[in-house]
Amino acid sequence: MQIFYTDLLCIGAGLAGERVAVEAAKAGFDATCLSIVPPRRSHSSAAQGGMQAALGNCVMGEGDSPDIHFEDTVKGSDWGCDQEVARIFADTAPIVMREVAHWGVPWNRVEHGPATYYKGGKPFEAAESKEKHGLIHARAFGGTAKWRTCYTADGTGRSVLNTLDSMCLRYNVNIHDRTQAEALIHDGENCIGAIVRCLRTGELMAYFATATLIATGGYGRIYKATTNAVICDGGGQIAALDTGIVPLGNMEAIQFHPTGTVPTDILVTEGCRGDGGTLLDVNEYRFMPDYEPEKAELASRDVVSRRMQEHMAKGHGVKSPYGDHLWLDIRHLGEKHITTKLREVYDICTSFLGVNPISDLIPVRPTQHYSMGGVRTNKDGAAYGLSGLFSAGEAACWDMHGFNRLGGNSLAETVVAGRYVGKKVVEFLKGHSVDFKQSALRDAHAKIEERIKRLSGSSGKESAIVLRDEMQDIMMDYVGIFRNGKDLQTAVDKLEELHARSMNIGLQGKAIGFNPEISLALRIPGMIKLAQCTAFGALQRTESRGAHTREDHPERNDKDWLNRTLAYWKDGDSLPTLKYEDASPYFEIPPGERGYGGGKIIHADIPAEKLHVPESNASDNAASAEDTK
Amino acid sequence: MSRRLHIEVFRYNPLDPESKPHMQSFYVNEYDSMTLFIALNIIRDQHDPTLQFDFCCRAGICGSCGMVINGRPGLACHTQTKDLPEHIVLHPLPVFKLIGDLSVDTGVWFRDAGTRIEAWVHNDHDSFDPTQEEARMENALANEIFELDRCVECGCCIAACGTARMRTDFLGAASIARVARFYLDPRDERNVENYYEVIGNDQGVFGCMGLLACEDVCPKHIPLQDQLGIMRRMLALHSVKGILPKALIEKLAHKGCCHENHKS
Amino acid sequence: MNSSTITLHAPAKTKTQGRLDVLQMISGVLLILFLWAHMLLVSSVIIGPGVMNAIAWFFEETYMAQVGGPLIGLLIFVHFLLAARKMPWKTSESEAFIKHSVMMKHRDTWMWLAQVATALIILVMAFIHMWVVLTDLPITAVKSAARIQHGGWLPFYLVLLPIAESHVGIGFYRIGVKYGVITADNRNWYKRKEYALMGGFIVIGLITLVRFMYLPLYSGM
Repeated sequence: MQIFYTDLLCIGAGLAGERVAVEAAKAGFDATCLSIVPPRRSHSSAAQGGMQAALGNCVMGEGDSPDIHFEDTVKGSDWGCDQEVARIFADTAPIVMREVAHWGVPWNRVEHGPATYYKGGKPFEAAESKEKHGLIHARAFGGTAKWRTCYTADGTGRSVLNTLDSMCLRYNVNIHDRTQAEALIHDGENCIGAIVRCLRTGELMAYFATATLIATGGYGRIYKATTNAVICDGGGQIAALDTGIVPLGNMEAIQFHPTGTVPTDILVTEGCRGDGGTLLDVNEYRFMPDYEPEKAELASRDVVSRRMQEHMAKGHGVKSPYGDHLWLDIRHLGEKHITTKLREVYDICTSFLGVNPISDLIPVRPTQHYSMGGVRTNKDGAAYGLSGLFSAGEAACWDMHGFNRLGGNSLAETVVAGRYVGKKVVEFLKGHSVDFKQSALRDAHAKIEERIKRLSGSSGKESAIVLRDEMQDIMMDYVGIFRNGKDLQTAVDKLEELHARSMNIGLQGKAIGFNPEISLALRIPGMIKLAQCTAFGALQRTESRGAHTREDHPERNDKDWLNRTLAYWKDGDSLPTLKYEDASPYFEIPPGERGYGGGKIIHADIPAEKLHVPESNASDNAASAEDTK
Repeated sequence: MSRRLHIEVFRYNPLDPESKPHMQSFYVNEYDSMTLFIALNIIRDQHDPTLQFDFCCRAGICGSCGMVINGRPGLACHTQTKDLPEHIVLHPLPVFKLIGDLSVDTGVWFRDAGTRIEAWVHNDHDSFDPTQEEARMENALANEIFELDRCVECGCCIAACGTARMRTDFLGAASIARVARFYLDPRDERNVENYYEVIGNDQGVFGCMGLLACEDVCPKHIPLQDQLGIMRRMLALHSVKGILPKALIEKLAHKGCCHENHKS
Repeated sequence: MNSSTITLHAPAKTKTQGRLDVLQMISGVLLILFLWAHMLLVSSVIIGPGVMNAIAWFFEETYMAQVGGPLIGLLIFVHFLLAARKMPWKTSESEAFIKHSVMMKHRDTWMWLAQVATALIILVMAFIHMWVVLTDLPITAVKSAARIQHGGWLPFYLVLLPIAESHVGIGFYRIGVKYGVITADNRNWYKRKEYALMGGFIVIGLITLVRFMYLPLYSGM
C-alpha cells in the first residue's frame, strides 16, 4: 500500500479546503488536497449568487457594517447560531473579499451614476456615488437589511474557485484528485490522517498527516430532490461519525431553497429574486407580499420555502406531471440583465427546461439545498473529540448559520472560515509533532479492506442502488419542509431497518480495478447514518426553529431548545446518541423576533452574564479581524 | 411519441488485461426532459453497474461530463436526448488519458497545462493590506475577465482540436484563453515578454491552425478563437519588434482586445 | 516546453517561432495577392487577346516577369516550407487528423485537410506551369491558347485552377481567423465573402479557359 506523508491533509478541494490549504502552504507547510473530482469541479463552482460582506460600497448598501451583517445572520439563524462565530465571520468577511480580489477575483464593480434596479418587480432609480466608483459592488439577497452580496455575474463560485485553485498552483499545494477518503486514521485522541480509495485504480492508500481537515461540503444527496451535485454525499461527515467520538452538530437543520427548478432540481440563484424577480402562483398572482408584507420574496429562505409550500397546499400551485410547482418571474429584468448578470440562469433555463426566461416563467419549487449541520467544531475549526481534526465550510458545523443560513453567507463562509481556520491550523502545525502510529493505520485500513472484501464476496444480497433509492424516498416523504412526530417516527423506524439491511450489501457486477459500484456500496451505509441523524434529531427537537418546522410544535421554544444537537454514533448501534450543548456561549443579541416568518416564541430566562460579550472575547475578536498577519 | 433509444457506449477497462476496446449497446426508454445524464444513470442502475462515466453538478456548471456525443465533444448533462437521433453513440474524449469507458483524466491534464502557463495572477501576494480598500477596477473590465473565467475546463475544446489530436504537447484553446484572462487582468504584473515565454511557441499560440472547432463545441460559448487571435497577433507582433515599424505594431497589437478600451 | 525538453536551467529566449509565424502569414498574403492579380491579368484575354498581349509585353519589357516569376516560385517554396512545419508528415499524425475529421464532421476541420492536400498538388503543378510559361517567353494569348487547344493542357488547368483558387481562398479566411480579424461575431459574414471570392475567381478562370479554347490561333497575323 502506498503511504503519503503530509503536514496538512485537506479532504475536499472546494473553496474551504483550498483556502485552508493555501494558508498552510503559504506558511511553508506541505499541504495535500484530496478530491473526488478535479478541484475546479467541486460543487463550490456551482454557487451562483455571491458572498455577503459588509463593504457598503453600493448605494443600496450605504451605511452597512459588520454589526448589521452580524444581526442579519443571527436573525436568519433564528438564534440557533454560535454568536461568537457569527461575529468573527461578519467582521472578517470584508477583508477576505478584498483579499481574493487581490488574488484575481473579478468582482463586479460600482459604476457611478444613476442605475435602474428592481425591487419586487418594480423598477426604481438610484445613483451610485462617484467616490465608490470601481469598488466592489453588491446585490440584494434574502433576509438582509442592506445590499451586501458581492458577486461576479452569476458565477461567483466559479470565479472564486478558479482564483483559489490558481493560488494552490502558485503555492504548490499537492492535489490528488479522483480520491475518496473512506476512514480517518486515529488512536482515540489524535487524528493522524486518512485511508483513501483511489478512484482511478480502486486501490487503497494511506495518508499520514499532522492535521486533517474535513471540507467535503454538504450531504444533500440523502434526499432524492436536491440541488446538490452527485458528489455531495457527506463523505467527510461519515468519516467523522464513524470514529464514534466526533459528533455532528444540528444535522436536522436542512435548508430548502425556494427556487429549485422543476423537474431537474437544478438551482437558479437567489440573485434572481435579489435583482427583482417575483414568485407567482397558478393565476400568475404575486402571493408573497400577502404572507410577508415587509420582505416579500426576500425573506429568509426557510420562510419563503415554507410560504411557497403553504400556498401550494392551498391549491394555488401549478399542476405538472412532476408534481405541483410555482413560477419565478424575471421577465421584467430585461434581456441584457438576464443574459449578463443572470447568464447561468439563462443557460440552465434554455438548455434544461426548454424555457426562455426573457419571455417565459420559470417553474420552481422548494428543493433541498444546504446542510447547516455537519462536523461540529469550536470557533477555531477544531472538531470535537479528536485533536488534529479540523473542519470548514458546509461540511462543518462551525455554526454561524444555526437553523437557517442566509443566501450568500455560505459561499462567504467557505473563504472566511477557510482563512480563519487556516490560520488556526497553521498555529496547530507549528506547535505539534505527531507520532504516526502504524497500528492506527493498520486498524483503519483493515476495517475498510474488510468491508470491500465482504462486498466482493457473494454473501451480500442487498443492492446499494435500491437502498439509496429507498433512503432518498424516506427523506423526501417524511423529513421534508413540514415535519411532524408521526412522520419522523416512521422515518426513524424505516431508516433503522435500512441501516440493518445496509450491512448486507452485495455487488451486482464485477470489474477489475476501479468499480464505481463499490464507491456507492461503501458510501450507502454511512449516508443512511447521516439520514438517521437528521431524522432522529428532528424527531427529538420538539419545536420549530429556522428551517426545522414541526407542525405539531409550531412555536420556537427558547426555554427548552435554545441549543445545538450533537449526534454521536457508537460502533454497533442502530441509532445515534444525541447530546445537547448551548447554542451560543453568550448572546450579543438576545433571542427575539426575526421580523419575518411570524410564529410564536416561548421565551427563555437567560442569565444576565450571558447577555453581553465577555471582555476577553471582544478584544480577541477585534484583533483577529484587524489581522495584521 | 416515446422512443426507445439505442445508446452505443465505448467500453474499455485499461486495468483489466482481458478487456478490449469495443462498443456496447444499451436500450433505454426515452421520457420528457431526458438528458444523457439521466440516460447513463439508468444504464448504470439497471443494466451495468460497472459502467464508468463522470458526472458531478449535472447542471452544466462543473465540466465533468465532457464526452464525444455522435462525433462531437459536448457536456452530457446538458445534452437533451430529444435533440439527438434514436441511435446515440458515446465515446470518451480523445487526447486525454482514458481512465475507463467514458471517463478520462482531464484534471491532471489541466493541472499540467496550468503549471506550464503559470496560471495565476503574478503579483506580490504578500503585499495584501487588510486595512486598505480594494484596488479599483472598471466594471466593464471585470466583466471581460469573468467572461474568460467562465471556462469550466471540460476539455471539449481540446478534444475537438485537430492540432491537439496530432500533437500531444499543444496547449489548446482553454489554456491559451486562460493566459488571455491574465493578460486582461491589470493585477497580473507580467508583461508581453513574459507571456511570450509561456505561449509564444508552436505548443502555444503559433501551433493553432485556426480550425475553429474549439469555439464551435464550447458548451459555455466562450469566444475562444477570438482570444487565440488576439494573443497570437499580440505575440507575433512582439516577435518582430524592431523589424516592422513601431507605429504599425502598436496600431495592430491591441485591436479588438481589452487594452484598446482600458488603458492599463 | 516540458520536462523532456528542459535541458538548460534557463531556456534561451528566442523569438524564432513568432517570426516564422509572421513570415508564413506574410508570404501567404503576398501569394494570395499575386494569384488574384495574376488571374485578373490573364482574364484580360476575355476582353481581347490584344489587351492580354499588351499587359504581358509590359511585364516582360520591364523584366518583371523574368525576375518576378522565379521570385514568386521562391516565395511559393518558402511558404511551403513554413507551412509544412504544421503538416501531418508522420503517419500517426495524418491518421489521427483524418480520424478526427471523420469523427467531427466539422467543415473548418475538413478545410484544413483540403489545404494540406491542395498545397502538395499546387507545389508540383505551379512549378510545371511556371517552367512551361517562363521558358517560352514572350507570353502571348495565342501561345496560351495553343497549349489549351492542342498541347493537352486543358485538363491540367482544369485541375490547377480550382485547387489554387480554393487554397488561397481558404488561406485568406484562415489568416483572418488566426490573427483575430475574423471573430465569433463576423465569422459568417467573412465566410460568405470567402466563398463568393473563391467562386468568383474560379468562374473568371473558367471563362478565361473557355476563351482560350475558342481563340482563333491564326487570326490573319
